[in-house]
Amino acid sequence: MEGIVLALFVCLLLALITKYLSVPAIPFYILAGVLLGKAGLGLVTSDVISRFFSDMGLIFLLFFMGLGLKPERIAANRSAVLTSGIIDLNVNMIIGFVGAYLLGFSIMESLIVASAFYISSTAMAITSLIENRKLMLREAETVIWLMVFEDLILIIFLAIISAGNQNLIVFLVKILGVLAVLYALAHYGKEFLISILDRDDELPIIFTFAAVLTTASFSMYLGVPETMMVIALGVAFATTDPDAFEQHARPFKDVFLVVFFVFFGVTIDFSGGVNWYMITIICLLAIVSKLISGILTGIFIHGSALSGLEIWGNTIGRGEFSIAIAVLYGSSIVGTTIAAMVIVTSIIGSFTAKYSTSLRRGIMHFGRKKSPPHRVHLGR
Amino acid sequence: MSAMSLRSLNLPGVGTKYEFETDKGDTVAIFFTKTGTIQMYTLQKDCHTPSAAEMTPVEARRLGNILSGAIIEADQESVEIAFSALADLRVTIHSFLIPKAIAGRTIEDLQIRAKTGATVIAVCRHDRNIVNPPPAFVFETGDAALVIGESDQIRMFEREIMVE
Repeated sequence: MEGIVLALFVCLLLALITKYLSVPAIPFYILAGVLLGKAGLGLVTSDVISRFFSDMGLIFLLFFMGLGLKPERIAANRSAVLTSGIIDLNVNMIIGFVGAYLLGFSIMESLIVASAFYISSTAMAITSLIENRKLMLREAETVIWLMVFEDLILIIFLAIISAGNQNLIVFLVKILGVLAVLYALAHYGKEFLISILDRDDELPIIFTFAAVLTTASFSMYLGVPETMMVIALGVAFATTDPDAFEQHARPFKDVFLVVFFVFFGVTIDFSGGVNWYMITIICLLAIVSKLISGILTGIFIHGSALSGLEIWGNTIGRGEFSIAIAVLYGSSIVGTTIAAMVIVTSIIGSFTAKYSTSLRRGIMHFGRKKSPPHRVHLGR
Repeated sequence: MSAMSLRSLNLPGVGTKYEFETDKGDTVAIFFTKTGTIQMYTLQKDCHTPSAAEMTPVEARRLGNILSGAIIEADQESVEIAFSALADLRVTIHSFLIPKAIAGRTIEDLQIRAKTGATVIAVCRHDRNIVNPPPAFVFETGDAALVIGESDQIRMFEREIMVE
């Protein structure tokens, strides 16, 4: 128990410092965990309580993702979402997979590394767009929809991986069944749900917490993993009053996720030997491959490679979802690799996000001196 | 001209975006972000880097007041409220800085209601607010008075009372 308190206290300090410097906090939570845990000073060990808190963190992260996923909105923006999404998926999955496989991971491990490698941090991308005042850039919308597309792919990936040795068709039917039941509950109980959420006492927050936990606990009986259950709940609840649910679930998500990140760091184990060469290659690839997909997206969507630079700058950071994949499916060595990748890309990503506009301007000036002026693209 | 079309867009994870292009070809975009702040971007025609300002909700409302022409001077704010359900009843609330000329006099003594029809509903004195001051209330220099009435009555108040 003291371990959690110590870890939380360190995270509180880190949160203060990173907010002050406006850099992402996630890599520092993980680093703090590494320093305090097995690989470092050994002051904090994971126990039943910390595991429960971490589970909650993951569950609320995925519930939140489900809430933000409004299928009808994606359908309305299909073409833009699909082009950029498919470029991003193919380039990064392939580079991630081939890179990991050539470095000696098994096929299954390579697939997991590739997924963590592919999925950028939605939280970091969106915070960076807001904090660096880039919302009006036309690339901002592309980045936002890219994040939505990545979330969708993550769900499909989680579904396929967690099917394990069950029959995939049966498993997918089960998931769709769960989704249908939850949708029906949200649809027919909409007025009741809204009447609860509208109250200003403690009821909405108790209800949100209980609904998420109850749904997660049903996974045992249905053979559908908790992750899928809570995403489905989020998607179903998004048809009622998603903002209210976000508001009531946010405190749980914020606190439990910190525990999730720091204890992910705590459980990282260097005793099996760390291959720094391999880790360095994966980190470099992670940055380069997003550059390639970013530039391709820039050319296909905005007709400009420089736009791609902007997209790249905001999507380098891997974060919460990569860690989630590592925690759910990664072996010790995969976990260490993903942790290193998250730490390196998110720190570099925070700088590229801050300076991508100046970088772009610099390149444009440089280009102008040598060649006829570039056509100026308007923000639409 | 009615060429101005306001587009609104819901951006997942970010918030709501409102954007329109002016007659002159400049673009203005406002984002209500989920973090509670409001960002305003302006993009001059033929320019490709927008400039941005981030505001708290209070600051954004103040900007809105300025843009809607409600503020005459920095210390004289005015809000007009229209109740469309009540036969378009319109009332104006206006703030005035009390000049030296009427300092030391009371609301009753100035015959505010009789002369103008407007009512003093609040007075702000040294950051303290006195709501519904009694007729015997004595004004001091530096007071800011909040007066409610129809726009004609407010104008009358400005002409009859403020110059005494």
